[in-house]
Amino acid sequence: METAALVVVLVIALALFFDFTNGFHDTANAMATPIATGALKPKTAVLLAALLNLVGAFLSTEVSKTVSGGIINESAVGHTLLPELIFAGLIGAITWNMLTWLLGLPSSSSHALFGGLIGATIVGFSASGINFGVVLSKVILPALIAPITAGVIAYVATKVAYGLTRRYDGKPDGRSGFRWGQIFTSSMVALSHGTNDAQKTMGVITLALITVGWQSGDPSSPEYHNPEFWVIVACAGTIALGTYLGGWRIIRTLGKGLTEVKPAQGFAAESSTAATILASSAFGFALSTTQVASGSVIGSGLGRRGSTVRWRTAGRIALGWLLTLPAAGLVGALAAVMVRWLGGWGVAIDAVLAVVIIVGLFLRSRRNAVTHANAMSDVAESGHAVELPEVPGPTRRTSRIELMRALERAERKADEAERAAKRAKKLKKSGGTPSEVKAARKAAERAAQKYAEAEKAAAAWEELSASRRARAKLAEWDLGVDDQEGAR
Amino acid sequence: MSVEIDWMAFLSVFAAALIGAVAIVAFYALGLRMLVRAGRVPVVTPAEFTDAITVLSEKDIKRAAKQAEKAARKSPLTEGQKTLAFVAALGCFALCAAAVIGGILLIVLGGGH
Repeated sequence: METAALVVVLVIALALFFDFTNGFHDTANAMATPIATGALKPKTAVLLAALLNLVGAFLSTEVSKTVSGGIINESAVGHTLLPELIFAGLIGAITWNMLTWLLGLPSSSSHALFGGLIGATIVGFSASGINFGVVLSKVILPALIAPITAGVIAYVATKVAYGLTRRYDGKPDGRSGFRWGQIFTSSMVALSHGTNDAQKTMGVITLALITVGWQSGDPSSPEYHNPEFWVIVACAGTIALGTYLGGWRIIRTLGKGLTEVKPAQGFAAESSTAATILASSAFGFALSTTQVASGSVIGSGLGRRGSTVRWRTAGRIALGWLLTLPAAGLVGALAAVMVRWLGGWGVAIDAVLAVVIIVGLFLRSRRNAVTHANAMSDVAESGHAVELPEVPGPTRRTSRIELMRALERAERKADEAERAAKRAKKLKKSGGTPSEVKAARKAAERAAQKYAEAEKAAAAWEELSASRRARAKLAEWDLGVDDQEGAR
Repeated sequence: MSVEIDWMAFLSVFAAALIGAVAIVAFYALGLRMLVRAGRVPVVTPAEFTDAITVLSEKDIKRAAKQAEKAARKSPLTEGQKTLAFVAALGCFALCAAAVIGGILLIVLGGGH
């Protein structure tokens, strides 16, 4: 029992460290977009993110209950072995997190945690220690569905945001006002991060407390898996501290590696992220906030006119997501093998390994090697998965309006050309001087040329209002004209 | 081993998140549109220029403000219509805030089950 108690203390320490790195790693989830659009100063953004993570952690305990009372079949595994397996799982999660952070690979802290726990339990005990139903319905399926959901919602929201503020008369559209809104939506993202990510650590600690009987309450009551108040306070405080300290990396680099995000687009992306995470938290789905935020950034990018996907970058991100769970599972399994083979010595070796990893992480973060690969996280990376044209093609309505204008102009020019031609004829008949006649004839020629040009432009707009492909062609043509003018 | 998956829960999450996010974005965008209509075009410059933002000079910012002012002066609306648009804008922002607060209350009080 004493060893189990010691291991539980180790688990709590390690879980809180994991919570800290989670906050440290994820500040950018909430704050990459408002910093990219200039809605918030980086310092303000970081402080806000830390405070709202703290508040969010107190709002819901559904996700915590999923972790503490569903994934692992605690009665089957037994109370002596489970704390050691949780310990091994945490080591797997932290190691994988550190590796991906050092290599600049896209990853998810949450999936690393689940992967580690599942891997350690399967190898250290057996597959019957895992509730595969819960794992599938509350971890794996949400992991696959949530980023797509967030992307679709962000796409629709971006279309709505642009559609409702678009003006066709060339007057200011007030879209920079979305920057004010972003202060609130990014706060919501930070809040939702607290409701989902802080809960995972609470769940792990609660699970460990249950195994050694330190959890208060009646084991048969459904409230038994609720985290203790001190656990909530500790996890909320740790994730907030991690978020705050992690933010300093962002301040140091000041948005290096960010793609351009317009305020309307950022507002839509953040609304989608916050809504998806909050709704999932309410249902106890333990999803990866990083992936949801990335899905939203990609979706909102695609919601802008003329955007295309860079499949290479998108594929790399998706591959990183798919790899996290099994890879962390493998590391967790290795740690569990040590515990099973070597018993107490295994725990000691794992603990030493954990300390080495933590010290390594600390030393690494002290070295001032902040590049865009490790500074702005995967959310910023996902911004590169969508390519946006500098000047998007015209909307269907713009093409129609321009077509009308071009037709009117062509008509005007036709009149002018006719009048000029008549004037030249009349002058010749009435016996004007040769130079006068020549000038009038030249004017008539010029007018005829302008009419031809106007006619051509009208035909081009007519073609454009017909098809999307034609519209894209005109955007290119526009750019070409700009270049020519620039050269002149 | 049979695994039961609650597909309705996924659908509920999608529907709730879609309705919530689109409502918030739509009301906010409509609020901005009304604000522009009321002759109070917001000109919000970036708080800090990162390398993702095209840097605006003082001149650019002043030009944007001037343009907004000109558009407001040229507005064909009467004072009464402008006030109405402004009130509508405030109403839209209030609805937006209500949607956010409602969403949070739903999480705190209800849970998903």
